[in-house]
Amino acid sequence: MQPTTHDAVQDALAAEHAAVWTYGLVSAFLQQQAADVAEGANAHRARRDATERWLRDAGQQPEPPAPAYLPPEPVDSASSAVAALVVAENDACAAWRGVLERTDDAALRRTALDALTVSAVRATRWRKVAGLTPVSIAMPGAAG
Amino acid sequence: MIGRTALSRRGVLLAVASAPLAVACTTPPPQPPPPDPLAELVRAARADSALASAVGANEVASARAEHAERLQAEVDRAAPAVPSASAAPSGTPPVSPPPNPTREQLVAALQAAQKQAGELLPSLPTHRAGLVGSVSAGCASLLEAMR
Repeated sequence: MQPTTHDAVQDALAAEHAAVWTYGLVSAFLQQQAADVAEGANAHRARRDATERWLRDAGQQPEPPAPAYLPPEPVDSASSAVAALVVAENDACAAWRGVLERTDDAALRRTALDALTVSAVRATRWRKVAGLTPVSIAMPGAAG
Repeated sequence: MIGRTALSRRGVLLAVASAPLAVACTTPPPQPPPPDPLAELVRAARADSALASAVGANEVASARAEHAERLQAEVDRAAPAVPSASAAPSGTPPVSPPPNPTREQLVAALQAAQKQAGELLPSLPTHRAGLVGSVSAGCASLLEAMR
């Protein structure tokens, strides 16, 4: 497996760490969407754990999470909380698309497509809550 | 690495295109180059866009039109110098939707398109995998948006 694949998976792991942290940060502001917040948090924790396992199995040391992350704007309300979740999911989309572009391994591609897809769907759900248009992004994970 | 893959692909296409010149006199005509597998995704995206317009799902119409455009750009990039009969020109006429179109048909079409792109993924070179992955995930997003 070429080093770029490992780098891409480490990037995806970093995005999953950030998403787990963000879901933890916002939960106090989104009581009305508690079920969706819990679903997203659990999904990203499971993905993070699976990604760490994949890296260890590939003989790599998984990068640890940062002590804290900088949301795009301070999270102090329901709307800024939703905005932070949209960014976290979009970042995960971009990172997993990056994995797709750097591996020929069929199993890893399946994993990356699944991660890209579920993050894109959750980004859409949060964009809907925020009242953003268009509700969905045409090419999730693509730059620009 | 991506660049090298693209180059060798072009090399293969060139070889395929020039082969008839060398062997035309002695052997049966060689197979034409196989159709680009992305062409099917382009067709589906155009059809979905027309169907979405017909049922008033403008966001879906515009997203699927963007999918068609991005995929066609990759098809054209991969085979710019082969004006063969199998390659559809970029400026194909608009697709007409089926009679009495419904939102249920559109949902079914998007589900099929998500699956179609996902199933193509394992066979693609890396420089196409991101594009097709985004199309598949984009269809899943559109389904969520329509809920």
